[in-house]
Amino acid sequence: MRFSKIICTLAITALTGVGGLAQAQWKPTKTLEVIVHTAPGGGNDLLARAVAQMLEKEKLLPVRMQVINKPGGNGAVAAAALSEKKGESNVLGFITSVWIANPLTTSEAKVTLHDLTPVANLLREPAVFAVRTDSPYKTLKDFIDAAKAKPGELKQSGGSVTSRDNIIRQTLQTATGAKWAFVSFQGGGERLAALLGGHVDMMVIEPQEAGEQIRAGKLRVLAQIADKPLPGYPNVPTLKQAGFDVVATPQIRAVVAPPGIPKEALAYYEDLFLKLSKTASWKKYVEDYQLEDSYSTGADLGKSITQIEKDMRAQFQVAGMKLVR
Amino acid sequence: MDVLSGLMQGFSVALTPINLGMCFLGCFLGTVVGVLPGLGPPATIAMLLPLTFKMDPTGAMIMLAGIYYGAKYGGSTTSILLNVPGETSSVVTCLDGYQMARNGRAGAALGISAIASFIAGTVGTVLLMLVAPPLAKLTLAFSAPEYFALMVLGLAMVVLLAGDSLTKALLSMMVGLWIASMGTDLFTATSRFTFGQTELLGGIEFVIVAIGIFAVAEVMANMEPEKPLDMLPVPKGLKNLLPTWQDMKDCKYAFLNGSLVGFFIGILPGAGATISSFLSYGFEKSYSKHPEKFGTGVIEGVAAPEGANNADTAGAMVPLLTLGIPGSGTTAILLAALVLWGFKPGPLFIEESPALFWGLVASMYIGNVVLLILNLPLVALFAQLLKMPGYVMYPLILGVSIIGIYTTDSSIFQLSLLVVFGLVGYAMRKLDFPTAPLVLGLVLGDSMEKALRQSLMMSQGSLSILFRPIPAALLCIAAFLLIVPLIKKFNAARVQMIDGEA
Repeated sequence: MRFSKIICTLAITALTGVGGLAQAQWKPTKTLEVIVHTAPGGGNDLLARAVAQMLEKEKLLPVRMQVINKPGGNGAVAAAALSEKKGESNVLGFITSVWIANPLTTSEAKVTLHDLTPVANLLREPAVFAVRTDSPYKTLKDFIDAAKAKPGELKQSGGSVTSRDNIIRQTLQTATGAKWAFVSFQGGGERLAALLGGHVDMMVIEPQEAGEQIRAGKLRVLAQIADKPLPGYPNVPTLKQAGFDVVATPQIRAVVAPPGIPKEALAYYEDLFLKLSKTASWKKYVEDYQLEDSYSTGADLGKSITQIEKDMRAQFQVAGMKLVR
Repeated sequence: MDVLSGLMQGFSVALTPINLGMCFLGCFLGTVVGVLPGLGPPATIAMLLPLTFKMDPTGAMIMLAGIYYGAKYGGSTTSILLNVPGETSSVVTCLDGYQMARNGRAGAALGISAIASFIAGTVGTVLLMLVAPPLAKLTLAFSAPEYFALMVLGLAMVVLLAGDSLTKALLSMMVGLWIASMGTDLFTATSRFTFGQTELLGGIEFVIVAIGIFAVAEVMANMEPEKPLDMLPVPKGLKNLLPTWQDMKDCKYAFLNGSLVGFFIGILPGAGATISSFLSYGFEKSYSKHPEKFGTGVIEGVAAPEGANNADTAGAMVPLLTLGIPGSGTTAILLAALVLWGFKPGPLFIEESPALFWGLVASMYIGNVVLLILNLPLVALFAQLLKMPGYVMYPLILGVSIIGIYTTDSSIFQLSLLVVFGLVGYAMRKLDFPTAPLVLGLVLGDSMEKALRQSLMMSQGSLSILFRPIPAALLCIAAFLLIVPLIKKFNAARVQMIDGEA
């Protein structure tokens, strides 16, 4: 009996890769609060609610997980709320790359991700370059050549100027010397409508969203932003395969904790999300939305945050944006 | 598949006991969510979404859609009774709805808003069923220049909301436009008018301004010592509470106006129910025989916007179901839900999932009937609320307002903004500034600025993009709206002069 328990503990310890009996035995006793930076129904809110559902279904968490919405300021309000929970072990935050970009350009966003504790990366969001089917551009090179020939005349629809859509545009413009316009739209629906209606020429779009338009013969995909071709797009070249060997700053979805979270709690959550990422429910979610499963530990997440921030800083500078940090 | 056989199939889906139950549940929840200020359909649907994973998708979709349009029925209740808008799309209903309640006609106002919602909701569903695919083209024809012109047309309505002094109305509108510009700019990522406050980075929520200026200011005005805290008159019996036949006749154009404006604004992804309700109110006033009575409690002023915000939900289904383009927060969540349930929302959706599409359409007909039956008897119940003495009523208004705002993002900062806008509203009242233009400026300002900047980015700075056919036509109507009162004034002055000479 006792022997098997030790084996068990050892197995868990080995699995999580963190040493020490005490650490593996810590468990949350209070409701786990997860802070998200969007209102109910926003992208991160829906992810957090889906995760809560999966944790319950797979019985991975002994307590309830509750989603707390702290919208406003592109993540600044949520980041501030998290940093106030210093040392608490029952609060986490779900972040996106917005949390990295926002403090770079906004002086009011005083809490950066360096002030919080990285816990685990969950996803990378791939994207594809799409044009209308009747567009003359068959490859990304066609588009870029056309943009070079008529500087500033071609248009891309996208989100905020700090979004990944614009960062990849800046990166490509720097690498190729081409120039085209970036038209910001608040909602994803408006961006897609602008492309389908012929008001802009190109859009960087989520694979799942583009998939249906392609099947209906409305859109064509020129290239994909992903390390290896996505299952839904086996024949579409990646940026590198399309002849553009640039670093595409990844769009991440990850988990962070307040500053000064106890070590054993951190280890527990790292393990929790590792277990989650191996469940069938998670795999189905990733497949349904055509995301890139990309679990990493807190330490690795911290490193990629630093790297992404460095890339963003460089691109924002090239774009002539005012950096405040 | 032709419409008739599609609809028959739809009713065979929607009329199964379980789906009928889901429809009723959705409508009921929607009404409740609509009545509660602050809590709106997007939040409710997002919270309920995880529960639907195990349900039959058709039933779940019927329920979630029921919440979406059901909320538009409930939204008018607190607008009319307490001057607290229950949903952002019911803000404009406060203008005449609350005045009707003050005149002892709360029942008629509540009744007509249910009837207008029913008519417009049904007309919207008919249009969704018959003309959705061709309309999808119109959705795509609309882009930034068209939106800009539409917003200018909306702002031109300010002359209709002005009251006595156009100068004061314009000043008030400017304040609204200014508030709309606060927060992080989408195009440059710089923050504007945030005064170093993290909480202001996202701008100021429309609903906080509306509740502060309408409800909190109303309470303050009623707390003045010289005002007796009297109860409002409420007639006895459901029959005397409901709108009369004359009311229905007065509203016949409002029903049509609300249905069409609501539906056509609804199909545009960049507009929204709030804008449709303002526009239909404006149109109603512009062709009315007695425009001067608007704002004092005319029944058309309730019927038009309440119809419009309901037809808008049917319109919003058009780009969602025919193109896979979500036009609002709520439809974006419905899109995510469809993906979760294993459907493929996009241009092929209707063709590939006819049972869901037609089931949904049929359920919307049923849902609108359910909502009418649900809401009319509630009129009697809600109207009784006004029998409360002032010392119960006014604290209740404040309580409802505070809870409404706190539930959305549990932030004390937002509550302090509520107080600020309450004071602003009170001051405006004392100084005789109309508040509606401020709210109008706030609703339209952000979209208008974005649309103009998008247009100019598209045209590399050339204004000619604003003169392609649709925007040019809309701008002409706006100019017409602005000029008509001037001509009327000029004529009136000339008549006076002639009279003086004679």
